[in-house]
Amino acid sequence: MTAGVIDFLQLTVAGLSAGSAYGLVAVGFVTIHSVTGIINLAQGEFAMVAAFVAIALLAAGLPLPIAGLLAVLVVALGAAVVERVAIAPAAGSSVVAYIMLTLGVSITLKASVLLIEGPQSKALPAFTGGILSFGGVLVRPQDLWILAATLVAALGLYAFLERTVTGKAFRACAEQPTAARLVGVSPARMSTLSFVLAGTVGAVAGVVSSPVIQTDWNIGLFLGLKGFVAASLGGLASIPAAIAGGLLLGVVESLGAFYVSSGLRDAIAFFVLIVVLVARPGGVFGRTQAAARV
Amino acid sequence: MNDAAETADALAEDSSGGGMRMTTGGAAQRRRLLRDSAGLAVLIAGVVAFPLLASPQLVFVAVFAGVFALAALGLSLLLGLAGQISLGQAGFLAIGAYTSAILTTRYEQNALLASVVAVAVTMVAAAAVGTPILRLRGHYLALATLGFGIIVAVVANQWDFTGGQSGIFGIRKVEFNGRLYDSPREQFWLVWSVVVGALILARNLASGRVGRALGAVNDSEVAAETLGVDTFRLRVQVFVLSAGLAAIAGSCYAHLVGVVNAQAASFLLSVELLLMAVVGGLASVWGAIVGAIFVRGLSEALTTYIPRVIPGASGEYQLIGFGIVLVLAVIYLPGGFVSAGARLARLPGARRRPRTTVPDGGGEGPTAAGDEAAGDTSPLLPREGRPAPGTAVLIVRGLELHFGGVRAVQSVDLEVRTGEIVGLIGPNGAGKTTLFNVVSGVLPPTAGTVEVGGARVEGRRPHAVAAARAARTFQNLEIFSSMTVVGNVAVGRHLRSRAGVVAGALALPARAEEHAIDAEARRLVELLGLGDVADSPAADLPFGRQRLVEIARALATEPDLLLLDEPMAGLSAFERAALARLLRRLRAGGMAILLVEHDIEAVMALADRVAVLDDGHRIAYGAPSEVSDDPAVIEAYLGADAEQTTLGGPA
Repeated sequence: MTAGVIDFLQLTVAGLSAGSAYGLVAVGFVTIHSVTGIINLAQGEFAMVAAFVAIALLAAGLPLPIAGLLAVLVVALGAAVVERVAIAPAAGSSVVAYIMLTLGVSITLKASVLLIEGPQSKALPAFTGGILSFGGVLVRPQDLWILAATLVAALGLYAFLERTVTGKAFRACAEQPTAARLVGVSPARMSTLSFVLAGTVGAVAGVVSSPVIQTDWNIGLFLGLKGFVAASLGGLASIPAAIAGGLLLGVVESLGAFYVSSGLRDAIAFFVLIVVLVARPGGVFGRTQAAARV
Repeated sequence: MNDAAETADALAEDSSGGGMRMTTGGAAQRRRLLRDSAGLAVLIAGVVAFPLLASPQLVFVAVFAGVFALAALGLSLLLGLAGQISLGQAGFLAIGAYTSAILTTRYEQNALLASVVAVAVTMVAAAAVGTPILRLRGHYLALATLGFGIIVAVVANQWDFTGGQSGIFGIRKVEFNGRLYDSPREQFWLVWSVVVGALILARNLASGRVGRALGAVNDSEVAAETLGVDTFRLRVQVFVLSAGLAAIAGSCYAHLVGVVNAQAASFLLSVELLLMAVVGGLASVWGAIVGAIFVRGLSEALTTYIPRVIPGASGEYQLIGFGIVLVLAVIYLPGGFVSAGARLARLPGARRRPRTTVPDGGGEGPTAAGDEAAGDTSPLLPREGRPAPGTAVLIVRGLELHFGGVRAVQSVDLEVRTGEIVGLIGPNGAGKTTLFNVVSGVLPPTAGTVEVGGARVEGRRPHAVAAARAARTFQNLEIFSSMTVVGNVAVGRHLRSRAGVVAGALALPARAEEHAIDAEARRLVELLGLGDVADSPAADLPFGRQRLVEIARALATEPDLLLLDEPMAGLSAFERAALARLLRRLRAGGMAILLVEHDIEAVMALADRVAVLDDGHRIAYGAPSEVSDDPAVIEAYLGADAEQTTLGGPA
């Protein structure tokens, strides 16, 4: 293989790895949005907080796998608390009010981490060391861990939604809220559950990607918004489409940063966002909806 | 002083959260202006006196409160008036700051000229950005504006022209005739005079034609559009204006601090500006000022006290306070400080009126002012320049509308001429309202043409149809619920008045026009027999009378074609008779009227011709007597077995 092709493949792998994290965050957006209609701007903070909790637990002497799992658990419960304390009291508010509420939660979480951990970035150690080579294409083992974790989290969520009664009630609430209510599904409980699920997948993304992206207090902004871009690429409605959107965005960003300009890396996602939103409000993978008219 | 006006005033104040409300009503408006003027006088006195009394440190804090108040005021107009959110306001602030910085440091321009150019450049940028992204709604718009802010920050950080990561420094201070104005006191007076000026412009804009139109859009976008309000254009204009205010703030910031870097575009600054607007209250332009003072004060307090509690704290930790206050404000203080203050001021001891003093029912129904004669058929509301009687002002040809597999309207032809009333009847679900929606531009047709007043309008937006002089009412009432009856009708004058964003903000040129709008609206309100409730909130009226408000509102646009969707529903027999009389007189004045109505007898009595729709098809079309004997019509209404039955004949 020529150096150019190897570069390209290596960038693609790195992009898929970053993109899986975006995809998991995107799944969190879809989960909450499908049940509550809310875009949770604190979604990226779930990932950021989970990484810092895991780092702190590791520093406290817990083994890495336990620290990671506990961090996911803490954030999942924390997401439920967020929903009960900040979101539920404002039930029935406008879209704009919910944007401001979740924005407030997001700012509070990131500023708390800034106060406790300071402005420096930290990282979990890679789960396994070394470096793998596939025909000259070098792959960090952590990239494979991220892809695997994404697969496991997505399949787990899928199994939960398809195979359990609670999961079915959750889907019913997303698709036919009135009918679901009539058969005894509580929208308030499903709203809390949606935050727990979103917190869980977000936390998984935060923990597995920490060794690669270097977590700092402000990273939730970028993780969250790129997750939103990924979710929008998928039309904000489907979990597989959200993951596909994340992978696509990760690859575009990785290639763009290399071939166009690395400094503009963070702008690429938002440029994609604006173009996609304006050109295809239904998402690239989603249905095209007729443009909203009065 | 009349009680209804007082109530309207009290209710308008009481409104929280929604848009900036206005009451178009003589007494109420005068009182509001008076209160605003008193507020302004206090503000100006405060601005003059504050630097003389306060410590220089405090004055310095207040200078920045003023700077950010400007940007927050822009955001408050965008949110409160246009109902659109932006999480990228700091992006525009940064464009203004950088432009000013580059002009003074590289091109040796003075600060004032640089500021003016900076505002112009930013507004052009805002128009370019706003035109595509304002087509988005809700959270998509929020995230697109957020993305815009981040792009500005990233570009500012990377581009050599903007100084890269170190930004631009050595920006000149404000200088006139070789004298430098750089003491906190002088800076305070400079900045706050601009704030006072901007506040006055914003207040004028919110209480005039543009503010009224946008208030209407917040209540019912479809109704505002059908009255000729070009929603999208107004939103873009307010977005551009809002960015202009941010640019003034950015320019002030650059010349005060002397340094600009990518921090100026940071998301966290956008959040701070949003917090200022929200916590102060979006229902009034004063909110942004109050909010800016509060948030800057909070920020100072947090940066002072947090390090005492947590010694190692560094970075922008004051955000923790912003986040918590934002959540608390949205949950517990949805109208912000200004609304809360207004509520407090009206607690015990203050004047308090019962909420409903609206007479319901028993209205005398439409009356031609001062003319109660039942037999009166004198022409009403003729218009100079209206096409001669008998000219077709609505021509529908081969109209089709399909929703997926459902064919709601199928190859319908229809003509309505000036000086005639055409009745459109048919069973439920026949497609009557759908046809209305297509004709008025609310829905685009699948195929076919619609011509209004000689102009092809199919597929155009409703405001374009309104501009072709067609006006409509709604079967399911689309009243502007935050406005009074007169306020509703005044929105109908939108197309017949001119004051745009600039004239509206300057107020004086628009003043005479506002008086004319009010007078004309009151005349129509009287005409529809709503004089007793003219200054009551329209939402408090019974449904039947709300229909009459919609008719008055439609007539205010001076239409040649009036589309009425079940205007008789909910009216008393007496009111129906009065409305029928009114419609006959409008016809005599040369108006073309298309009437959808379930009251067949009323239609047969009024209409010159009747079209019958069934299952999307036009199954009959002709004089009322022909149509009522048509076997197809009888079958559609009564089923195939009905024999010897005719629909109500002409009275």
